[in-house]
Amino acid sequence: MIRYTASLVLLVLLAVIVQQFIPAFTPLFGSRLMLVVLVFLCSASTVPAPVMLMLAFLCGFLTDAENAIGPHGGDPEVYTRPVEPLRFGYSIALYAALGFLMQGIQPLFRQGKWQFSAILSGIAVFLYLLVEYLLINFVRGGFSFNRWTFLRIAFSSGITMLLSPLVFWLLFQLADRSRYTIRFDGIRRRKRQPAF
Amino acid sequence: MKPLNLLALLVFLGGLTWALTRSERSVREIQATYYRAISPFLTVGSALETRAREFLDEVEHSKMLEAEVEAMREDFGRLKLIESQFRKVEAENATLRRALDFQERTRFEVVAARVTRRQPATWWQTVEIDRGEDSGIATAYTVVTDQGLVGKIDRLGDHRSTVLLLTDEACQVSAKVEGSPEVGIVQGQREQFGGAPRLRLRFLSRDARLREGMRVFSTGRGGLFPADLLLGEIDRVEPGPLASEAIVRPSVDFQNLGTVFVLTPQKEES
Repeated sequence: MIRYTASLVLLVLLAVIVQQFIPAFTPLFGSRLMLVVLVFLCSASTVPAPVMLMLAFLCGFLTDAENAIGPHGGDPEVYTRPVEPLRFGYSIALYAALGFLMQGIQPLFRQGKWQFSAILSGIAVFLYLLVEYLLINFVRGGFSFNRWTFLRIAFSSGITMLLSPLVFWLLFQLADRSRYTIRFDGIRRRKRQPAF
Repeated sequence: MKPLNLLALLVFLGGLTWALTRSERSVREIQATYYRAISPFLTVGSALETRAREFLDEVEHSKMLEAEVEAMREDFGRLKLIESQFRKVEAENATLRRALDFQERTRFEVVAARVTRRQPATWWQTVEIDRGEDSGIATAYTVVTDQGLVGKIDRLGDHRSTVLLLTDEACQVSAKVEGSPEVGIVQGQREQFGGAPRLRLRFLSRDARLREGMRVFSTGRGGLFPADLLLGEIDRVEPGPLASEAIVRPSVDFQNLGTVFVLTPQKEES
């Protein structure tokens, strides 16, 4: 378990670095492959809640460290209505919420039905981006949501979801090497007893 | 709920509260540490990327010629910028000498930087450049090209930094319209995609008499951006019941940013 958790942390750090070199898909409305989110979501399906929360903190912290923008600054008499940035740390809460969502169908995943988790990872990425965008609207005021924004979120979720089988495969490899059991953990089908 | 899960949840909530209550200074320190930590990987990655690009370029062009053109382009942009700033300083100098017998002792310094990464975040309009604190750059420094204002430095690392573009909603610039008494605040718009971003000039007077093509410059008020930097041209005016707004076509081609210049603060000559 400890070895598997450590390898997940390393995988997240690797994803953070690889993410730096993945460009946005400009023809697809600027959508992007959300590698760190994907690695977290797939990992969340394979670990118990405490480890998931630890990963949520790590991923959210690193995401905000990379993306949080500073306050506008300047003379408040001139810039009377500065645009508020999102608070550092909001991603941690978002990651945790999505982690619990992924754990909701963990029993199915442990039965070997990873397809449901793969689809749910796409839905979770969609929710992540949607909530993030709604938060921006809430903090800055003036709600707006157009077709382009929807398509950007949808394509980002779709592209990310397509990569989830690969990440699951990678996680199974890591689990094997770490001697950690993902499948059939605690779930056993009861054998039918003969009537007589 | 299992006791271990409950304990983990409490620890997590404690960590979340700690993160959410970080001061702006702490956040900047965290970001600087983060950039410092990933910098070696980015440097190696950038070097590999550059090498691959150079290899591909060599098929069509001579490597030496490419480097020469790049250097000349940088020099040309820098000299053009210095010339425009020099003219401004010269005119200002003459005016002040005439009026107050005051000798201007200030000048601009520029640091050329290459855009290494476009749109690194989903919702913010930003680019990354290959110059950071080591080149004398600091947060909120102005970034320009010879076409006009690009934005300001937001996040800072030792060898790289992130530029918040003028097209982002969070970047506001105090602006004036050439040939008109109108002043307002220029800022980007939240949902902008594609190759033709537009800016919004807010807080104009209700009956603002503006025409398409009129140029918009920074006023220099507010302590963030120097005066007389070109921001764009008026595209159209949207009259409102209390104040008018104008849509501005940016002067900078944000889709093809290659080399930019960071304005370092004016230094007094000893």
